[in-house]
Amino acid sequence: MSEPVRIQTEDFSQDEEIAALKAISQRIGGIATFLGCARDFSEGRDVHEISFEAYGSMALAEMNKLRSEAITKFDLLDARIVHRVTTVRAGDNIVFIAAAAEHRAAAFDGCRWMIDELKQRVPIWKKEITPQGESWVTPHP
Amino acid sequence: MIKILFFGPVADRVQTREMQIEFAPGMTLHDVIAHLGMQHPGAFSLVSFIAVNQTQVHDKKMALNDNDEIAFMAKFSGG
Repeated sequence: MSEPVRIQTEDFSQDEEIAALKAISQRIGGIATFLGCARDFSEGRDVHEISFEAYGSMALAEMNKLRSEAITKFDLLDARIVHRVTTVRAGDNIVFIAAAAEHRAAAFDGCRWMIDELKQRVPIWKKEITPQGESWVTPHP
Repeated sequence: MIKILFFGPVADRVQTREMQIEFAPGMTLHDVIAHLGMQHPGAFSLVSFIAVNQTQVHDKKMALNDNDEIAFMAKFSGG
């Protein structure tokens, strides 16, 4: 089974990630997921590609910490975080987060918390490649 | 030696992703920031996070050790 927290260039399968979560426990009553994908339009410009860069070792350590904190904070049964670091085109998958809990509220809250914290705490940067040139993305709230 | 890493927009401004500087006993993080900040003021204006050995630090008086790894990073934009 793949690691529950990963940084990778290749695409991921949501079905495989969810199956890995479900294999952990039959006490799971709900799984909330977040799928981040590439848009073709941003800040009033067409976007052809998005290129990601990470401080890999620190990013992975922080993502593992995030997952552990979420499991404790929201009483999750398990959680998974996968982030691609490569160049993607519109529609491509970027990040997948899943939170499994006995009940939906904890799953939703844990999933939302993990993506919000990831954006604040994990050293990954994205650069948009547009017809007008390239520009690093300013973080969104 | 101290290993210095730059990422994202900071790396673009410095025009390198990695450099090494000579370690000197008593050297602090502030010394490194002052030294590199003078050479690359545009890059350091973007720095929002600093990590030493992959742990974020806030205390610039922090004493460094030989073979430390320092990363200068702009605001994160993953996800």
